[in-house]
Amino acid sequence: MVSRARPVLIAAFAACALAARPGAVARAQAQSVLVNRAFDLEQAGKWREAITLWRQVIGAGDVGQGALGLERVFTQLAMEDSVLPTLDSLLAQRPTDRMLRGSQLRVLRSLGRDQDARKSFVEWTLLVPRDPAPYREYAGQLLNDGRAAAADTVLQEASRALGGTKALTIEVAQLRAALGLWTAAGGAWREAMAAEPYLESSAIYSLQAAPLAFRDSVRIALGVPLTATASVRRVLGSLELQWGAARDGWRAVSTLTTADSAYSTWSDFADDAERLGAWLAARDALTAMNRERPSPVVALRAASAAINGGEPSTAIALLASARTRLQPFQVRLQVLPLEVKALSQLGRAADAEKLVSEAGDNIDARTKQAYARQIAWGWIRAGEVEKARAALVGASGDDEDEVTAWIALYDGDLAKARSGLRRPADATTEVVTVMALLARTRSDSSKEVGAAFLALARADSAQAASRFERAADQLSDAAPLLLALAARVQTARRQEKAAIALWQRIVQRHSATPEAAEADLEWGRILRRRGDTNGALERFEHLILSHPQSALVPQARRERDAVRTTGATVE
Amino acid sequence: MKIRRCGTVAMRLARAMRLVALGTGAARAQRLLVPMDDAQTNHLKAYGLAFSTLKTGNKAEWFLNYRGGSFLLPDEPAVRRRAALDGVRADPIDDATVLQVRKEVAAGNMDAISLEKAPRIAIYAPAKSPPWDDAVTMALKYAGIEYTQIWDDEVLKSDLSKFDWIHLHHEDFTGQLNKLYLGFRDAPWFIEQRDRDLGTAQRNGFASIPALKKAVAGRLREFVEKGGFLFAMCGATETLELAMAAQNVDIAGPFSDGTPMDPDADAKMDWPHTFAFQNVHLEMASGVNAMSDIDGHQVNVAARRQPLSQFTLFNFSAKFDPVASMLVQNHRNVIPDFYGVTTSFTKATLKPGATILANEEGAPWVKYLHGDYGKGSWTYLGGHDPEDPQHNIGALPTDLALHPNSPGYRLILNNVLFPAAKKKPLKT
Repeated sequence: MVSRARPVLIAAFAACALAARPGAVARAQAQSVLVNRAFDLEQAGKWREAITLWRQVIGAGDVGQGALGLERVFTQLAMEDSVLPTLDSLLAQRPTDRMLRGSQLRVLRSLGRDQDARKSFVEWTLLVPRDPAPYREYAGQLLNDGRAAAADTVLQEASRALGGTKALTIEVAQLRAALGLWTAAGGAWREAMAAEPYLESSAIYSLQAAPLAFRDSVRIALGVPLTATASVRRVLGSLELQWGAARDGWRAVSTLTTADSAYSTWSDFADDAERLGAWLAARDALTAMNRERPSPVVALRAASAAINGGEPSTAIALLASARTRLQPFQVRLQVLPLEVKALSQLGRAADAEKLVSEAGDNIDARTKQAYARQIAWGWIRAGEVEKARAALVGASGDDEDEVTAWIALYDGDLAKARSGLRRPADATTEVVTVMALLARTRSDSSKEVGAAFLALARADSAQAASRFERAADQLSDAAPLLLALAARVQTARRQEKAAIALWQRIVQRHSATPEAAEADLEWGRILRRRGDTNGALERFEHLILSHPQSALVPQARRERDAVRTTGATVE
Repeated sequence: MKIRRCGTVAMRLARAMRLVALGTGAARAQRLLVPMDDAQTNHLKAYGLAFSTLKTGNKAEWFLNYRGGSFLLPDEPAVRRRAALDGVRADPIDDATVLQVRKEVAAGNMDAISLEKAPRIAIYAPAKSPPWDDAVTMALKYAGIEYTQIWDDEVLKSDLSKFDWIHLHHEDFTGQLNKLYLGFRDAPWFIEQRDRDLGTAQRNGFASIPALKKAVAGRLREFVEKGGFLFAMCGATETLELAMAAQNVDIAGPFSDGTPMDPDADAKMDWPHTFAFQNVHLEMASGVNAMSDIDGHQVNVAARRQPLSQFTLFNFSAKFDPVASMLVQNHRNVIPDFYGVTTSFTKATLKPGATILANEEGAPWVKYLHGDYGKGSWTYLGGHDPEDPQHNIGALPTDLALHPNSPGYRLILNNVLFPAAKKKPLKT
């Protein structure tokens, strides 16, 4: 009996469906037309007309679209309360409709009728006791309003009613972050992504606000590097980039495999790193991409990132690989400029000169001049002043030129250096130091100063320190600055005794100069490293009391506190 | 003509004398006013400055409710020096201005409290701190206030009357190690902590950690009874009360003493011998990380945890309730709440004699309590670290140099100076 009845029933249902189909299609088409017209009116700002149309949409059966349309339009007119009667009557017919319930909650909250919103939420939960939707909707809305504590209460209710919050992982994760429970947030997002990998961007958005002090906790909670999935690694990579730890970010995504869409992740990572100026991380990502799928374009981007990141040595190999895969004219236009730049930065001016000369007549005069200046830089970096001067012959070197200014400085011609370094291309530490000195002294020449900077360029720190010290005797108006330079070099050389003598000289003989506060601080730091806590305290306190207006006072107070509570530090 | 000239000379002389008098007055009779309102650059170190002034034998005054509870200190070179070193704002004022301030204080809800002697402070804390830090220790260290560290052996064997003020590091006096056994039993720091306490118990002839801690709680009660000041935060508040009330009943879970809790423990608790609470219901499930219904927030029980809000300090009459006033001196009245093992105290469990110093508007709990017991007094502040509201285990310690104006930490330091005040009889 049963077996005979079933085919009959199925046939009857099929017949009904076929008969109903043309009508349903026509109705759907009519609804679609109405919806499109309503949207058009909304776009045109014809609110009143749009209201009429959205009501017709509801009448035609598309209740969700119509109600949302009415909500939007009435919000534009600042008449949100006008949508409530419609929602109430629709909810009387469809009391569990998620879209209608969500709209009603939103409108009630925006009107400040929190108690009514709460009542509506409770009513909804009673209608669908095992459904997470009411909790998800209400908690999500409260989170969007920044009312984390209220959202927390809702999720706790969900936990009690549903026996857990497994169905609300996203909301729980968002809530943890909003409450500042960063460790829990990290863990919650990890769980959420295990179920729904598409949540990566939500996780990044939510976790990127973690304060510095909690970032380690987030890293641990995410489970990196031991147990992390590909999506978690990608999230951490982006987070580290946002947090200014691009190299750590690269470490997180560098171990992805082809199965994890590694290439596309690395490409996205490289784009972001370039945009944020995290050049070395960008270089690493682009190098990995080039290794995976060799491409001269990627190799050139990697080399450029390496040069921008101050590690030109790694650019050389990348450029060499690009050379082999490009046409000669492409090499000349795209590879050679980067090679000259990298080699000049490395002080390998002779190699750069050779490459330019090999390119021969194919380079125009203007480009040749630009190369000549870069090569001169290379010679300067190597401390070869004469060769730099020779390289500049034929280039557009004039008194305003920065390269010429450096050569002048090394020659001891401070006046020429001063005019050439008025508008430097890059405000590097080196440039700033020289500019500070040139602004400080009225002297127009000093062989000793030139020799000191030249020794520094040649990485002869012992000679540089001694020259700076001697220059201090010659240029009395810049003496404390020159002594400070000498002391900094000695500190970097770990010649602490010599550095202390110089800092002491500044403190005792130049106590009213800007370097005096720095001298106290640095002297104190050296003493602290050497275990002389009392001596260090004396220096920090001297700074605070003698230079109360100095910008270094807060630093001195921190160091003093650290010495008093933890004593000496030994490096 | 002559007379007139004489008169002129006399006038000149008088003017000169007056100038001299003013000059010497300005150099000699000045005081330092340490404002504690928003003008202060480092509120926390200002307490250290007041403390060190007392320590060197000088006297000071605390102007309750005047500019956030300002201090008046002698204008000594050493005081100025320390203020400058610590970055504390201290304004030199002359006698006339002092008089003006006194008039203002006399006219309003303010009072001048004389601070006579630096209190002798002890912090009850283990030699090796667990992986989180104690807010009071941090506050005292940062402010440069000296203290002695004591632990169970010292509490049980030495004379506690040598201290004026004892602070309790957030210890679990029920001996259950904050029930952290449930989640951290294999953590090296937990094992070390348990072994340390077991060793102390054996050394002092106690069979278990709960027995040891009950005895320690009893000694601390004696300290207060005999006139000491006791300050506790976080879990130490709740568990000290439970331990004092449970002298004759087993309230510890089997993981801490090998025996289950007494099923009738609730009924057998001896509340008359506690400071602040009564009619408390114990958490009978040893697997639930809560001690009783004293705490309103129940942070370690996910389903019961209440969200943080903010608490409001009560405004007391400085002239009639100087003690309560001292404890709430602050430049903020509303302070963000912060979690601890015990975050707050439910109103339903409070004894009628407890003074509520701060509460959360509309909530069934309070945050900050004070009261007398015997000849001494006690203060309880819920929560662990005012500048680390969540305070998760393993989180980095708070760097107070980043919070020199913390209103929450001020509450702790008010308690440090409170025993220095020359006692005035309460008028209410």
